[in-house]
Amino acid sequence: MRRTGLVGLVALVTIVWPFVVPPYVVFLTTLMLVNGIVAIGLNLLTGYTNQLSFGHAGFVAIGAYTGALVTIHAPALPVPFTLLLAGLVTALVGLALGIPCLRLEGLYLAMATLAFGFVVLEAILNLDWLTRGADGLRVPPPSLVTIPLTSEIARYFLVAAVTVVMVAAATSLVRTRTGRAFLAIRESEIAAQASGVDVARYKTVAFVVSAFYTGVAGGLFAFVVGFLSPDGFDVFVSVDYLVMVIVGGLASVPGSLVGAAVVTLLNDWLARFQNYRPLIFGGVLVAVMLFMPGGIASAAAARRRR
Amino acid sequence: MLHVLVSGLATGSIYALVALSLVIVYNATRTVNFAQGEMFMVSTFVAWSVVRAGAPLGVAVVAALVGAAALGFVIERLVIRRAIAATHWDVLIITLGVSLVLKAGAGIAWTNDEFPFPSYFGDRPIAVGPVRVAPVSLGIVGASIVLMGALYALLRFTRFGRAMRAVAQNQTAASLMGISVPRVFSAAWMLAAVVGAVAGVLIAPVVFLSTKMGLIVINGFIAAVLGGFGSMPGAILGGMLLGVLENLAPLYLPTSIRYSVPFLVLIAILVLRPSGLVGRVERRKV
Repeated sequence: MRRTGLVGLVALVTIVWPFVVPPYVVFLTTLMLVNGIVAIGLNLLTGYTNQLSFGHAGFVAIGAYTGALVTIHAPALPVPFTLLLAGLVTALVGLALGIPCLRLEGLYLAMATLAFGFVVLEAILNLDWLTRGADGLRVPPPSLVTIPLTSEIARYFLVAAVTVVMVAAATSLVRTRTGRAFLAIRESEIAAQASGVDVARYKTVAFVVSAFYTGVAGGLFAFVVGFLSPDGFDVFVSVDYLVMVIVGGLASVPGSLVGAAVVTLLNDWLARFQNYRPLIFGGVLVAVMLFMPGGIASAAAARRRR
Repeated sequence: MLHVLVSGLATGSIYALVALSLVIVYNATRTVNFAQGEMFMVSTFVAWSVVRAGAPLGVAVVAALVGAAALGFVIERLVIRRAIAATHWDVLIITLGVSLVLKAGAGIAWTNDEFPFPSYFGDRPIAVGPVRVAPVSLGIVGASIVLMGALYALLRFTRFGRAMRAVAQNQTAASLMGISVPRVFSAAWMLAAVVGAVAGVLIAPVVFLSTKMGLIVINGFIAAVLGGFGSMPGAILGGMLLGVLENLAPLYLPTSIRYSVPFLVLIAILVLRPSGLVGRVERRKV
């Protein structure tokens, strides 16, 4: 009963929110939700399955460019299909990356995903007939059936609706057999294999699902910022996503959202102090790992139990 | 063609030294230090500051090496030691955090501009047999070989070297034999930082000095993986090979390929032979 009440309250706040806060805050909230979807995607791979990725900005870039190019070349396509396409293309790339990565673990996987991120950036720069390279790509507003979504508030509701679906799907997924297989792989690959978990298959699934989430978020990102250029997806952006997941809490869906909110706000506040931003992020990363290893989510859980 | 090979070996020596410093820390503590590149960058900036204060270049290099050792000691003692019970994964993330802090700190202390660094060698090319090569290339290769020899002697013939090799083989057994494992950890971090600092002061005159220099750690990793992570001869071989490939590839392929070479090499080695050229497959227990 209390749960229904809480959900109702969240829904009410979500609907009223964009009408009561200034437009810039609406934009920031939208960006938070988009980052939240990326963080959930990364958390499914890194937090649940313990496969470290330093290349998620590459997946975001693929989703974003797919979303933008589809909107430019097929403006009539309703936005849910555009996003689905962005997710599927990215998932396909995730599959192509995930299969060779099955042989790798720990550091080697981190290096391979790092290399993947660089390769994606190089590809965007060199395919300039398609992506306009370093000049950047302007993204037209998406359209819902025939109505173009031009206002900040319209984009907010689009992103909020997608977030609700993605959060619900992730929360369910981690409770299924697949989610338990992810956690078993995290605890010990050898023990999971010995207990009958098909490690290769579930690691591939984790890669594909994670890439799908990140691709959809990338598509949304393209619409929210309206302009894409390769330097917006460098390795430091991948690090930002890792910070979100670690600060929010590994293997926690709500934690991912909280971590994304914290990092997005910090990024916004520190925009004027570019030099100090990595200093603070690095410090936060070290402090969380040393003093609060489970992130905000597990600290909150520990409080509740007390 | 031949002079490209020599400059490839010079670049390769730098990669080899960075790879060696990663391997030294890895062998002793089983963790990978993502901050190695930033430590290398900070120590090079220390040398530059000393030069700018009017001291001779030799003094500056010594200051950089001492500074590097101190930095390695402080990071190991204040941060890494606290996480001694954490998994390697956690320590990797911690060193990533340390590298962000160092990079930003250097940016605040020395700005993010590029600075020229004085050279130790002349500009006139030297004729070696049929080829004319830049003295700086020969200097880098020569200095690196001397350092590698010293490192080999240190690990092979001294008590300290034996302690380090023992810890690399088996921590529990080493501590039962009376070796202080924490002291070896500390020493490994300092030694690695010094090796990295040498690479820094060697390469600084060739590339401009900037806070972006730390990114070389990625190529160092790739070199170490290419050779077989954990193997010191492998790190040297991998570094040299990577340097040569990177310099030769633009001769035969489009020039823009140069910056992608390390990653293509990495992907190829991970797919074909993940244990590296001379590495062995590690057996793991649950």
